[in-house]
Amino acid sequence: MSGKKHWLFVLTAVGLVLALLASCAPAAPAPSKEKASPAEQTAAAVPAEQPVLRVWITWGDNPAQLQSLFDKYGTANNVKVEVNSPVDNDKVIAGLSGSEPPDILVTGGPDSVGTWGREGLITPLDDFLAGGEVDLNDIFEAPLSQCRYRGKYYCLPWGTDTYALFWNKDLFEEAGLDPERPPQTMEELAEYARKLTKVDENGNITQIGFIPDFSWSHLGLYVAMMGGYWYSDDGTKILFTSEPVVNALKWEQQFYCDYNVEEVLRFTSAFGGYMSPDNGFYAGKVAMMVDGEWQPGVNFIQKFKPELYYGVAPFPPPQAHPERKNTNLVSGTVAMIPSGVKDKAAAWKLMAWMMSPEIVAEQMVANFNLPSSKKAAEDPRFHQNEKFEVFLKLMSDPNAKAPILTPINAEVDTELGQIEEKVLHTCADPLPLLEEAQAKLQPMLDKALSE
Amino acid sequence: MTVRTGEAIAARAWPHSRGWSRRTRRQFITGLLFISLWIIGFFAFTLYPMVASLYYSFTEYHIKRAPEWIGLINYVNLFRDPLFWKSLSNTAYMVVIGVPLSLLVSFVCALLLNIKIRGQSIYRVIYYLPSIVPTVASTLLWLWILNPNSGLLNMLLGEIGIRGPNWTRDPAWSKPALILLGLWGVGNTIVIYLSGLQDVPVSLMEAAELDGANWWQRLWAVTIPMVSPITLFNLIIGVIATFQYFAQAYVLSAGVSPVGSGLGAPLNSTLFYSVYLYQQGFVYLKMGYASAQAWILFIIIMICTLLLLRSSERWTYYEGG
Repeated sequence: MSGKKHWLFVLTAVGLVLALLASCAPAAPAPSKEKASPAEQTAAAVPAEQPVLRVWITWGDNPAQLQSLFDKYGTANNVKVEVNSPVDNDKVIAGLSGSEPPDILVTGGPDSVGTWGREGLITPLDDFLAGGEVDLNDIFEAPLSQCRYRGKYYCLPWGTDTYALFWNKDLFEEAGLDPERPPQTMEELAEYARKLTKVDENGNITQIGFIPDFSWSHLGLYVAMMGGYWYSDDGTKILFTSEPVVNALKWEQQFYCDYNVEEVLRFTSAFGGYMSPDNGFYAGKVAMMVDGEWQPGVNFIQKFKPELYYGVAPFPPPQAHPERKNTNLVSGTVAMIPSGVKDKAAAWKLMAWMMSPEIVAEQMVANFNLPSSKKAAEDPRFHQNEKFEVFLKLMSDPNAKAPILTPINAEVDTELGQIEEKVLHTCADPLPLLEEAQAKLQPMLDKALSE
Repeated sequence: MTVRTGEAIAARAWPHSRGWSRRTRRQFITGLLFISLWIIGFFAFTLYPMVASLYYSFTEYHIKRAPEWIGLINYVNLFRDPLFWKSLSNTAYMVVIGVPLSLLVSFVCALLLNIKIRGQSIYRVIYYLPSIVPTVASTLLWLWILNPNSGLLNMLLGEIGIRGPNWTRDPAWSKPALILLGLWGVGNTIVIYLSGLQDVPVSLMEAAELDGANWWQRLWAVTIPMVSPITLFNLIIGVIATFQYFAQAYVLSAGVSPVGSGLGAPLNSTLFYSVYLYQQGFVYLKMGYASAQAWILFIIIMICTLLLLRSSERWTYYEGG
């Protein structure tokens, strides 16, 4: 091998290695004007001058619909908007911490907003909001408040979710209950549940009235109905041992522990998937459930069990507190701008467009989610389905609340989930478990808030 | 550019190579270039992350902010963390019960598959097939088989008058369910055992037979000692893999309730070491804590492997060794 050849070989090898490494780098970085090499500019199929904005959405049953929605913005503004949906949570973390995050990140709920805000992974939006492109007065208060973390807005609510009681009218009739009258109090709900539960001669449950942690788990709703939440309003204290939390868990417990826990678990684990005709509620195995506004929509009951004869009503308050009627916990899709985004002005412009009432209306009509914008909510298409309207009213009710954000939401949610599981599935006394968890989590919260 | 430049660089980089002939040196460089992809990959994706995680394990690190040195606090907190011990004991259960059981089952299967009968190769394929199925797919399949009411397994148990357990929702049965799932996919271990069985010298077997040894005696005195190095290999690989048990448990806890009641369900009975590590790192963003967990796991695995290797001197047999 001559010297020249030798070096040619070295160069080729190094080039190969670099090419390989480059192919391992995060996918499809947005070519900004400064960075794009001449080679890239000529090679790219799209005109070289057209910038790319990337939108990641962690949910999405219909990626094509989302892409076509954002294409409208692209066409009007001469940019290319790439929508990636659904994106895994693991990828979101990698994207947020890497150097090429998406320009807009949309998540299914605000759970991580506090943590990410604290870690500086997402941008506070207050400076942008001062520009007035987004009218905060047009956004319903409850969903908006879920984006406030320590006095700043870290996200904006796009679509919103809230929860109500669904009941199967056929099963009500069979059990001798008035199919048009849902339970009016939490106590009555438990009483109805007993009438709606069937056990065969072998002791096997064949139908069940109500399972508090079936489908979406709604501890938050039950706690709110009991008159509180597991954080103080300013998010600095954990109130696990407060009466609302204890009472909510005890109320939930009866649906397992007054029956036979083992039998209830056996019965529920035989249900099919959430999005399938064998969903316990669709299949008529569960007479009442708590679920979200998307259920009456085209992707859920209309699709899997269109003939289901059912009703929707606000979840009832406890007998002693009729004033808590229409209490509901609003939470849902939020959009944010990662802090690593280079052209934040462009990202904000896109976000402001997303938040415009027309776009909110269009997206939420397509997906049967609640609009966050008051103007959008006036769209007649939201008022065609009377079941959907129940949720619309709940969301704008003065008793609508949003979860409070803290930097340790994830830990708190896990801990509460585990306590709920233990209380319901082993009939444990909630108080000692809550005391222990509070002692563990309060110092964690203090530390996180002091940083 | 002349040849000398290349030589000079080589000589500077590897001073001890001064005595090498030109030819040797060139071969050395060419060899390095051929494996350079691997070397770069090793440094970038193995060595650097390992060293970095050792450093992070002494820091408080949440991805974006710079890591903050806190000394041994992560390690101290871990030893005080009840879930750390819970995850460790869950993992130990799988190692102590699951691994020997899977070795036993694969050895027995390999013995059966080694019998010369018609359709031998078909049986071998059938036993190996489950190993090709992706873990997530096979776990989902087993969730269906293990369904307490409509699942295949409990239906079969029902046929013989046994009311099967509530496999995935009962904390007492969730780990046995996962072990069962693992036994279904031991194809790789069977293949390795099978190759070992075929290496057992026919002459030894014949000699034992002439001495009047029956099938059991031949198994105990000849076959098992002859495949003991294979057993050691399978044991170590199995122990290492089981300490890092993750995917099946992750899928199981997501599938137990319709929307997933969280990692470790039911009641933390499937919160294995790697699952807990994942939770700390990627759910709570506590990368420092997770790094400390990873290093403790590394040390545990290393100690276990060393102990197994040392003990093996007493129970493995190498021909001519």
